Amino acid sequence: MLRFLFRSSLNIVTLYFLININLCHARGDEIYETPLMLNTYGMPGSIDTPSAEAFPEGQFSISSAIFGGTIRNNLSFQITNGATVSFRYSRIPSAAGDYDGYFWDRSFDFHYLLNKQTKNFPSLAIGLRDFIGTGLYTGEYFVATKNITEKLKFSGGLGWGRLSGTNNQTNIFGLGNERIGFSAGFGGTIHSNHFFSGTNSPFFSLSYKVSPRLEVITEMSSDDYNLEILTPKGFKRKSDVNFAFKYEIAQGFSIMGKLMHGDSIGLSGTLALNPRNTPYKSGIEPAPMPLLENAALMETQSFMNSDIFVRSEELLKLDGITLVEINIDNKFADVEILDRNYLNVAQMIGRVSRILSKTVPLSVKFFRINLVDYQSGYSVSKIIIERESLRKFELMLDGPARLWENVRVENSSAGINSSFALSNSRLTWSFYPDLDMLLFDAHSPINGSIGWEAILAYRIRNSTTINSSIKQPIITGLDDIKPGPKPGLPNVRSDFMYYYRDISTRPYISSLTIDQYYKPFKNIYGQINFGYLEMMYAGIRAETIWKDIQKPYGIGLDLTRVNKRNTFGDFSMLSESYSTIIGTLYYDLSSDWSFQLDAGRYLAGDYGSTFSLSRTFNNGWEIGAFATLTDVKFSTFGEGSFDKGITITVPLSWFTGKKTQAYAKTVVRPITGDGGARLYLDKHKYLYNNIAKYDQKSFNDNWKRVYR
Amino acid sequence: MIKNIFFFFALFSFSCSSDDIIRSEKTAFYRVYKDIMKSKTANVNTEAIIEKKVYDKKWLSKFNQPIILLSSLDSKNSATLVALGNYQNKLTWVSSDGVSVSFSNGVLIATRGYAQDLMESQHNDLETLFTSNIKKRSKSYRYLNGQNQYRELNFSCSFTAKKNVSSRFLNLVLKTTKFTENCKAGDTRHTNEYYVLPKTNIVLKSKQWISPANGSIKIYNYYAFQNNLF
Repeated sequence: MLRFLFRSSLNIVTLYFLININLCHARGDEIYETPLMLNTYGMPGSIDTPSAEAFPEGQFSISSAIFGGTIRNNLSFQITNGATVSFRYSRIPSAAGDYDGYFWDRSFDFHYLLNKQTKNFPSLAIGLRDFIGTGLYTGEYFVATKNITEKLKFSGGLGWGRLSGTNNQTNIFGLGNERIGFSAGFGGTIHSNHFFSGTNSPFFSLSYKVSPRLEVITEMSSDDYNLEILTPKGFKRKSDVNFAFKYEIAQGFSIMGKLMHGDSIGLSGTLALNPRNTPYKSGIEPAPMPLLENAALMETQSFMNSDIFVRSEELLKLDGITLVEINIDNKFADVEILDRNYLNVAQMIGRVSRILSKTVPLSVKFFRINLVDYQSGYSVSKIIIERESLRKFELMLDGPARLWENVRVENSSAGINSSFALSNSRLTWSFYPDLDMLLFDAHSPINGSIGWEAILAYRIRNSTTINSSIKQPIITGLDDIKPGPKPGLPNVRSDFMYYYRDISTRPYISSLTIDQYYKPFKNIYGQINFGYLEMMYAGIRAETIWKDIQKPYGIGLDLTRVNKRNTFGDFSMLSESYSTIIGTLYYDLSSDWSFQLDAGRYLAGDYGSTFSLSRTFNNGWEIGAFATLTDVKFSTFGEGSFDKGITITVPLSWFTGKKTQAYAKTVVRPITGDGGARLYLDKHKYLYNNIAKYDQKSFNDNWKRVYR
Repeated sequence: MIKNIFFFFALFSFSCSSDDIIRSEKTAFYRVYKDIMKSKTANVNTEAIIEKKVYDKKWLSKFNQPIILLSSLDSKNSATLVALGNYQNKLTWVSSDGVSVSFSNGVLIATRGYAQDLMESQHNDLETLFTSNIKKRSKSYRYLNGQNQYRELNFSCSFTAKKNVSSRFLNLVLKTTKFTENCKAGDTRHTNEYYVLPKTNIVLKSKQWISPANGSIKIYNYYAFQNNLF
């Protein structure tokens, strides 16, 4: 919904919000964010050098360092307790720089903490710096860290590659003193032959914690900065020693001032947040409806409206839940509900059950609650809850677990019910600002447009909707993108700049489709989208999902037959037509991970597969990565070698503590190529997530909130 | 850049929708910024009573249903709650702005709407807590963390009683037994106080701890005075 607004201002929000949290809340027992631990590469370390430490699991950091003509923008994530990764976009001064005396380079680091320090032994870590791609920062290290006193910490290690620029010594593994060369090719691929080859150099650092918020550091760095010192846009390297102070301005937000190699003064800023550390704890939604004893319940019901539907509907509406149908059948109350507010389905079901407990006759012993998806109109799952168990376990220790033993989650029946209206009005419209960002173009590293978007939807039937989106950029830098399309493959995606150029600041049809949903069997879901599917393509798409609500996995098939749209974003079409056939396996692992494997024919006619892996937090946050490898050669794909990226999903409820399903999903895709390309569709046009959010695993994972 | 940001937010201020849900999302989005500006995140829903109120029997007589009064320790924020839930001697009281607290024998066992809510708790000796000579006791409190999993605090507590403590309630002064409970779970400590009518389980007034983020609240069980016992 408000994804663009949310995405665009995410950084600003998080920055100030975290400062704000610090002002209002004492830090809890557990430490979730350690911004002072980041070095200029966004990894655990001192100033430039690494240390044998790790961030708290789940910490997500955005940091930026500037000194001596170098700029490093880092996105770091603590995947597990030991493994840290960082994606970086850097400006590196170099006489050979391909953009105005600089390289703009993407790089990726991996750091693993082998053990934590004990009373007598230091912690040890191993790391690979810039091990994918062109390798301007490439280097490897072993490092040890030990606290000498509570406040004084020492780190020392051995570095290879770039970390063996000065004070170098014979390779300790006997791998020779010449660094093994490698051809980066078109970038984006892993080369491992050179790891730990060539001379190695020691590096050291010493830090002292003056106060919980202030740390002073000195280090001896072995990086010789051989690119940066040979250009006037860089700096002079006068010594091996760096000095810095780090100051935590607020929880999760710190700065570092530094003097690099006796010549260059620099500054870093770090913003660290942890999706596990919800600022509003269990939320600030109002308390749910209390449960009553039978005598009090009968008395209460005597004062209520005699129509069970009306009295239930009124109370559910107060909780933001729409009652669409209710039937009392002996011991059962069969209910169809529509929820567009709660991200947490268990909490929502708890509230529905509490209200039904208050409104339906005492003869009803079970609630059978059918959950209807607003977008498609079909019922996804049916939750069966025993009324007495709900009341009996409400205020007991392990109440949710005991209640779960008396709950069943089933697939809802086939078909799409047309006997009720999913919304009061068939026509809905919205008007928003729209932000479109383009990163990683060396000529304009941060580019984008600001404009407006109007959304119009008309629901013909519960299962059929016309959806449209019209956009107009008002301020844009996207109409002058320098790089052109890539050769070697049909330009199915890499000619996107022509669309931005020709649309410029004109209004255009972003999408205009008629969407038909169907549910032929109780665990088969489908949709057909016909029309202008996205900015570059129009045609027909069919998606079918098999999903048993009691299983944590599902299978999908996505077929498209599309024509290229004219570059002006109007109704006209080009004669180029393409098709895709992609099968998908979705699996939500029992741990906090989910994966998706897509395989088939992509837009350019290439065959291959996409592997996506996400760390999911049980609050709507998801941080993941994907890579697509097809039969297109890396040389044909061009820069980047293959399609890959990082995905970040952020729920609005995390920031507000209140019920809302709104979320922002951002895809950071370093390179746009034609190999492995697919349609860019609105997130609501992918069925699986809308179904899986009502599956048994989703309820089970969140069930501890059923009484919230 | 600043111009672009300003333009973006100017456009945002004109954004509108016919859909209630989208409008509420926009409001929620605004509120994030509003909270930042106000330096206020945890909006604990208690009614602020600006004027100094006199809590006496006349004031109490205005209520025709059982009430309790919750108050912050500094008495700057307070709210009256009515009993809306009861099951097996566990009473749930709800305020007009959506906070609920549940008690068993006068002891707080759960809260809702308090941000870091006391989701579940276990007390083994509630029925006899104020009538038998208990010196030590244990209890477990459960909260939800950011991933909807339990964070459990297992408290070891000392429990002492002091008889014939004069306490003021409404415009009455009564002799009560004051029970003091000092509890510790790791680095987390709290002290609860219960003013109990002698030889009964009736807690007239108490100071009870909710959670690390919320601290303690004061609870005045005025419903005990609503049936003309005093």
